[in-house]
Amino acid sequence: MKQLLLIILLVTAGFSVALGQANIKGKITDRKGEVLPGANIQIEGTYDGASADEKGEFAFTTDSKGEVVFKITMIGYNPSVKKATLGTGDVRLDFVLEESINALNAVVITAGTFEASDEKKMVMLKPMDIVTTAGGAADIASVMQFLPGANRVGETEGLFVRGGSANETKTVIDGMIVQNPFFSSTPDVPQRGRFTPFMFKGTAFSTGGYSAQYGQALSSVLLLQTQDKISEESNLNLNANLAGLSASYTHKGWINGSLSYTNLSPFLSLLKTNIDFDKVPEAFGASVTINENPTKNSSFKLYGTYTDNQSALRLNSYDEFNSKYLFSMNNRNIFTNASYQVNFDEGKWIFQSGMSYSKNNDRIRMDQTNADRHDERTQGRAVLTRLFGAGKNNSIVFGSEFHAIRVGNIYGGYDVSLKDNYSAVFTESEFYVSPKLAARVGLRGEYTSVIDEFNVAPRLSLAYKVGKYAQFSLAAGRFYQTPDKNYLYLNRNLDYEIADHVILNYQLIKNDRTFRVEAFNKNYRNLITEKTDFFDPNPYRFPTGKTDNSGEGYAKGFDVFFRDKKSVKNADLWVTYSFLDTERKFQNYPSRVTPSFASKHNFSVVSKYFLEKLNTSVGLTYSLTSGRRIYDYGSDLKTYELTKPYENLSFATSYFRAIKNHFVVFYLAVDNVLGRKNVFGYRYSPDGKQRTAVIPPAYRTFFFGVSWSIGKLDRIPKEATLNFD
Amino acid sequence: MKSKLVFVFALLLTAAQSFAQNPAYLKTMEGLVSKIQTTQFGTPLQPLANQMERIASAEKGEWLPNYWVAFCYLRDSYIETDAAKKDMILDKADEYFNKAEALSQNNDELEVLKANLANGRLVVSPQDRWQTYGAKVAAAIGNAKKINAENPRISLLEGEGMFYTPEAFGGGKPKAKVFFEKALEKYAKFTPKSSIHPSWGKEITDWYISQCN
Repeated sequence: MKQLLLIILLVTAGFSVALGQANIKGKITDRKGEVLPGANIQIEGTYDGASADEKGEFAFTTDSKGEVVFKITMIGYNPSVKKATLGTGDVRLDFVLEESINALNAVVITAGTFEASDEKKMVMLKPMDIVTTAGGAADIASVMQFLPGANRVGETEGLFVRGGSANETKTVIDGMIVQNPFFSSTPDVPQRGRFTPFMFKGTAFSTGGYSAQYGQALSSVLLLQTQDKISEESNLNLNANLAGLSASYTHKGWINGSLSYTNLSPFLSLLKTNIDFDKVPEAFGASVTINENPTKNSSFKLYGTYTDNQSALRLNSYDEFNSKYLFSMNNRNIFTNASYQVNFDEGKWIFQSGMSYSKNNDRIRMDQTNADRHDERTQGRAVLTRLFGAGKNNSIVFGSEFHAIRVGNIYGGYDVSLKDNYSAVFTESEFYVSPKLAARVGLRGEYTSVIDEFNVAPRLSLAYKVGKYAQFSLAAGRFYQTPDKNYLYLNRNLDYEIADHVILNYQLIKNDRTFRVEAFNKNYRNLITEKTDFFDPNPYRFPTGKTDNSGEGYAKGFDVFFRDKKSVKNADLWVTYSFLDTERKFQNYPSRVTPSFASKHNFSVVSKYFLEKLNTSVGLTYSLTSGRRIYDYGSDLKTYELTKPYENLSFATSYFRAIKNHFVVFYLAVDNVLGRKNVFGYRYSPDGKQRTAVIPPAYRTFFFGVSWSIGKLDRIPKEATLNFD
Repeated sequence: MKSKLVFVFALLLTAAQSFAQNPAYLKTMEGLVSKIQTTQFGTPLQPLANQMERIASAEKGEWLPNYWVAFCYLRDSYIETDAAKKDMILDKADEYFNKAEALSQNNDELEVLKANLANGRLVVSPQDRWQTYGAKVAAAIGNAKKINAENPRISLLEGEGMFYTPEAFGGGKPKAKVFFEKALEKYAKFTPKSSIHPSWGKEITDWYISQCN
């Protein structure tokens, strides 16, 4: 009897097990009904589950009963969770997964931006590209001049973007405006940027329609992001070239100190220069960088640099033709920048804050005239970002910044100075309506104490993907800029200058080839104009006439960019063409005309090739810029001459070798190989009857040097060498 | 007496449960781990990753299922040719790696995997990424050595680094071979902690050595 009972018990138990097993079947598709082979389905907390087959179908059995949770996962789709009550017998369940917003399907806002970052998917230019570009002299702004939207202006530093003058472009490092991004200007001698491209992990060059996070630039912002802490290694780098010596030491990845001495004598001794130096440029520089991650979710960066440079040159006198006067300058510059970033709540919140202080003193003597300048800027910035949505693809940003600016200038009998307290608040949201449609909406409010004015600037960007590789993007917005200090010294009753931008962009990226075309329309209002008795084309004059905001103008045009890394192995080619139609009434222009810095056509070809067997890279850059207008002294601007087109062919090569933990690079660059005699404009004598041409410091230049690094080399893959300089 | 009984019963129940679970866990894992480690390079591991993912989600306290999910996706990222897809596969690998790391600290196998994952990211776009990810590979290798210098997969990875670095940059096959031979010596002495712990890499080391000659 007992045995029988046991048997019954066992049989029923077995039977109930069989009864209790449920067969689950179904199909997994996306929203469009496309099947998803390989999708993973499981009952949470158990091993029970299956992979979807080629038809998107799955089948499995489970002992689970009652309420269970099904979890479905697949790469490229948002995970889906669904509750169901299981009884016995067969169950059919179908699931629909939603595509996640990811690098493969998502559109990216591209109008007006030219990313050179290595972080983003839409990479177009990388930091290494800057140093390997022939004709770019490893200078960030010089290389940016080969990009669409930039106007080549040979006689002065700065970025002239789409009809805008150089002071309409701001350089921003980690969110902080850089007061003096270039070495102090000397008349008609273009200066280099103060920062080496290797300091930055990414460079984004905006040609307009930029984010509400930045302001005070009518045309463009150059956004530079400093390197993060990348290793714990120590290394030493020594550099010697025709223009000086430098040494840099990094200790255990977190602190770096650099010293540099610049002297152009060896460089100039090899050249026939067009400049008459009384004292060859000589500079001393020192910098410290600290890069530490106090916790896994936070980072701290500190950068401080001091430079002292001197030069003196004899310039053609504008007062008496054929005579010369001495222009001497001693520049001292301090720039410091500290930033702290922390992520919390699983990276959903990001807090960034920064402080920066800069001080610049120029002791300038023009003949006997004292023309000293000084400026000081203290700024603070705090930004809070909240990421939301599946995959944290959407964001909302709140931020504010404050600047205390002190500037002054002595010029002969004038001794002027001004204080300005500038503050701004901004908010911006970037979100996906669908993977194909993204929007960025922002608003920025500013107050400038020196003119006692507020402004509110809206910004909008949209992007829509039209195919697997192609997309359209639109950017529009209003941009304000406080009038230049040279006008504010004598007149505080001025208002902001205003530019409205509309930009439409089409981009196709496929197989390492990029094609991009962008059209733009820019309207200028409230530009500062100065009433003078006669027109003086000298750009270095100090404005003393009556000023107001009655200037206006426009800039419209388009640019085309093509990059090919695919067709020839180990080669990289960029072709850029920009068309610009612009007129403006501003500065001391008596009427609305095309400004003398603007050129209608800008064309350039940048090519690079790596010779694998020789460990050598070679680069060739060709650029052609159509003539710029020359307005005579006293001109009514109705008649003008054009300079002859600017043309330049440059060459650069480098050879490298690693021996144990030593790494050596030899480099050589030749600028203007053909020795073309480019002219950028003319400077006039006061009677307007005589003029001298503005020409480059030298027609053809040679530059070479060596860089030697000692320290542990992190593994460098074969492909990394392709663009290595 | 009653409470004692309840206690004993509870003890029996938990023991029974863990006994019931462990053999199933071990048995399922054993089969899967062996399949993962013997699958020829070039065959997608995704179906096995799916199974492993289910185990990982059921066995929330175990680091090994998470390790193997990450491992499978790392391997699959090398098969994929599209750069964006590679990154998405590696995102998934990282998700499981992070789960494993949260469950087990000071683990040489996880450091080796971390180095391999950084290497996976690096090869997606070497020109842009060698600086960042090269440093991450080196840091993780350093950590692994501190924990267990005898792990043969460390030498294998170092050898691979040398193998793909051109001689002009201080790499090359002769230098790589030294590391691979060191790896083989370590493999000869190496015994995995269990049948479900990592033991992979000897075959690929043999292959590399054949390529170095």
